[in-house]
Amino acid sequence: MAKVEPGMEAMVDVYIFETTALLEQLDEILLRTEKANEFTEEDINEIFRIMHTVKGSSAMMGFENLQKLAHKGEDMFFIIREAPEKMTDVGFVYDLVFQMSDLFKAEIDMIQNDDDYQPTDFSEMIGKLEKGAKMLKGELDEVEAQDAAAASGVAPAAAAIDAAPDCTTVRVFFEDGCKMENIRAFMLINNVKESVDDVEIVKYVPEDIESNQDSANVIIDNGFLLSFRAPDVKAVLAAIEGSLNVQSYEVIDSAAAALAPAAAPAPAPAAAPASASAAPADAAAAAAPAPAAAKPAEKPKSAEPAKAAAAPSGGGKQSLISVNLQKLDQLHDIVGEIITTESMVISNPELEGLRLESFTKSARELRKLTADLQDTVMSIRMVPLTGPFQKMNRIVRDMKVKLNKDVELVIEGDTTEVDKSIVDNLNDPLMHLVRNAMDHGIEENVEDRIAAGKPAKGTITLSAMSSSGEVIITIADDGAGIDTDKVLSKAERNGLLTKPASEYSEREIQNMILLPGFSTNEVVTEYSGRGVGMDVVKSNLSKMGGSLLVESKKGEGTSFIIKIPLTLAIVDGMEIMVGDAEFTVPISVIKESFIVKHDQILNDTRRGEMIMIRGVCYPMLRLNEKFGLPSEVNDIEDGIVLLIESENRGICLFADKLIGEQQVVVKPFPKYLSQYDIKGQGLSGCTIMGDGSISLIIDVNTLIGSR
Amino acid sequence: MDIKELFAKQEEMKRKNLNAKAEKESEITKVMTFYIGDQVYGIEIPSVIEIIGVPHITVVPGIPYYIKGIINVRSKVVPVIDMRSRFGKEEKEYNERTNTIIIEEGGVSVGVIVDEVIGVIPVYAKNIANSPDRIGVNDNKFIKYLLEMQDGIKLVLDVAKLIYDGDMYLSEE
Repeated sequence: MAKVEPGMEAMVDVYIFETTALLEQLDEILLRTEKANEFTEEDINEIFRIMHTVKGSSAMMGFENLQKLAHKGEDMFFIIREAPEKMTDVGFVYDLVFQMSDLFKAEIDMIQNDDDYQPTDFSEMIGKLEKGAKMLKGELDEVEAQDAAAASGVAPAAAAIDAAPDCTTVRVFFEDGCKMENIRAFMLINNVKESVDDVEIVKYVPEDIESNQDSANVIIDNGFLLSFRAPDVKAVLAAIEGSLNVQSYEVIDSAAAALAPAAAPAPAPAAAPASASAAPADAAAAAAPAPAAAKPAEKPKSAEPAKAAAAPSGGGKQSLISVNLQKLDQLHDIVGEIITTESMVISNPELEGLRLESFTKSARELRKLTADLQDTVMSIRMVPLTGPFQKMNRIVRDMKVKLNKDVELVIEGDTTEVDKSIVDNLNDPLMHLVRNAMDHGIEENVEDRIAAGKPAKGTITLSAMSSSGEVIITIADDGAGIDTDKVLSKAERNGLLTKPASEYSEREIQNMILLPGFSTNEVVTEYSGRGVGMDVVKSNLSKMGGSLLVESKKGEGTSFIIKIPLTLAIVDGMEIMVGDAEFTVPISVIKESFIVKHDQILNDTRRGEMIMIRGVCYPMLRLNEKFGLPSEVNDIEDGIVLLIESENRGICLFADKLIGEQQVVVKPFPKYLSQYDIKGQGLSGCTIMGDGSISLIIDVNTLIGSR
Repeated sequence: MDIKELFAKQEEMKRKNLNAKAEKESEITKVMTFYIGDQVYGIEIPSVIEIIGVPHITVVPGIPYYIKGIINVRSKVVPVIDMRSRFGKEEKEYNERTNTIIIEEGGVSVGVIVDEVIGVIPVYAKNIANSPDRIGVNDNKFIKYLLEMQDGIKLVLDVAKLIYDGDMYLSEE
């Protein structure tokens, strides 16, 4: 993590978390409004609020470059707020803001991961934003004059506190050297608003505390002037006094004084709003002694987003907390250990043969509670797929422009929940598949689509659903589909075929594109087609216990189907013995277990032992031979056969005996062993059993593939 | 306990600490020694987590012959290496003297099975021989340095190499 001001380290995490969430929210609003081609006031206020919060917190953390960038972004929306239609009419705004948000994200990423973080210079982007703001303004004559001041960073000279009759005005001084006085002032206003119920902030000087850093100097020199209207003035004053870093305050203008403006000493000349060139210090000095220009009491514009900003962070109604993932993992591990220890206690061999009625009863109760505990811990870790799915919107949007293809992304079932660790690992595979669908799936020419009787606009559907402990995510496009001839010839050229070309089924050919070193796109594009990728996607998914399948119909489109387990950590397993080793087979893949007779076995010289079950022939795999374990059970009639099925392929496993069903906590193999291909042997992990012995978990997919 | 007693105790502690300090100044580290065959080997104490007998080893397919499998050490799954077999010696059956030393380096734990643990000896700078190259017998890349003690030469193993070097036993012979 980057080095920050001492004392701020603990805040960095929170800053990163909040800012990332805000930026994602920004992206979401932008995408939505761009799609709908409509920009409501609410959206603008929301964007304003986001930019504002990002700016404020960046300043607080001392990331000056980010603060400046956010400031420029805010400026731009300031212009747009005056004329929302420009947002949708002028195309470059979206690109600019997206670029800005990308830079932001990259920077935050660096802050998070880079020990020697060096602030990036954003002057290029800031220049672009300034130019964009100017271009916007060039078309907006009527507001130009007004905005010129704000955009150039000089405060519109709000010279005086207005003398609305029942106002109270205070001048606040902050502690010497507390820094960022403008932000402190802003926090003071929020504090007042929060702690006193019906207070109305009428005006404050300097007015541009949120947007202009120089206003801090003004506050140091002249104090911060705050004019408010409240039934209980004392409560407000108490709130001011209780605010952070406030050194002193004085009531310079009470309601009584305001009632007799004529008696006010030395009325200062009103700094006209037009005199934008007036230095803020002058303006404030002019305003200091007494109210002068009796402007209509109008709520400052900037107070609006500020209020909105305060709303979500305001205490009281919050029902969400953010928890460090490490702590959750820890909790999760402990629960796993509890479950193991519980079965150690309950099925302790020393209890065997004893009549323990009340013990059994309590044990059952305990088991139920631990199961509940486990479910709850699991559910804490479950997050919806909305995050990674929404990110795809961005990718489709960007690629649409670059590839000049008209494509719509349809998202379905994004509320499906999966384990956090899986969601984190899902981003890359999803991105790759969506890019692939954009690049290779959807036809290059619109004419081709129309000729095929399809709408000119392509559709990519991203959907998720859960079914029996698995989540199925489909990325489907309505493009040209996979050209099997092309795939086959390419595979032949690359020497990927293992049998004569004519023997491959269509499905097999389609799935060839997932093989390492396969890419049908002749030209390497920016997005996909480097010849690495699909196989990486597949191996990434299989690392978390998932699988990837392709289904395609020529002319109709291609679907990539991802199947991932809901959670990685706990598996319902069947314990089996082979020799003196114990194995766990996931219950979900076991179709049945049975004892076979010799006459059910077919012996094919080429394919080895086979078994016929209800008209289907399954290969037989003797686990003792497979894993090289000496076993006394060699006669097929003495042991037990498990029929397992996965991805529509079946195999029979021959084991010595069944022990029973058990929930096991999956542990990965020790790091030291990761240099060897244990997974390729058909084992996905291991688990510690109730008696302290280790059971190896069988990875059915590899096992089926190996036979 | 009265004040005097406390005071005396404190004085004694101080003296002890001083003595320990004096000794430490010349002592570099401590080494746990053990037999593999007839040769005495050692592992620096900071790398040693614990010493246990030989627990039930779960065989894992697809790994080199000298990694015997995995064991459960207090709910942690740890791989075990047979050192005889790692150094190309003939394997022998484990008996009550056979020990498993659990070592750790950089967050990776490994158990090494040795014939017999002897004990812990302090190591002083004067004991360390300059280079393993000087002694032709039994030298291999897992040796960090040699100790020339009164009761013979001890080979101190390089735990980092033992754990991180996937490319196994390569005899210099």
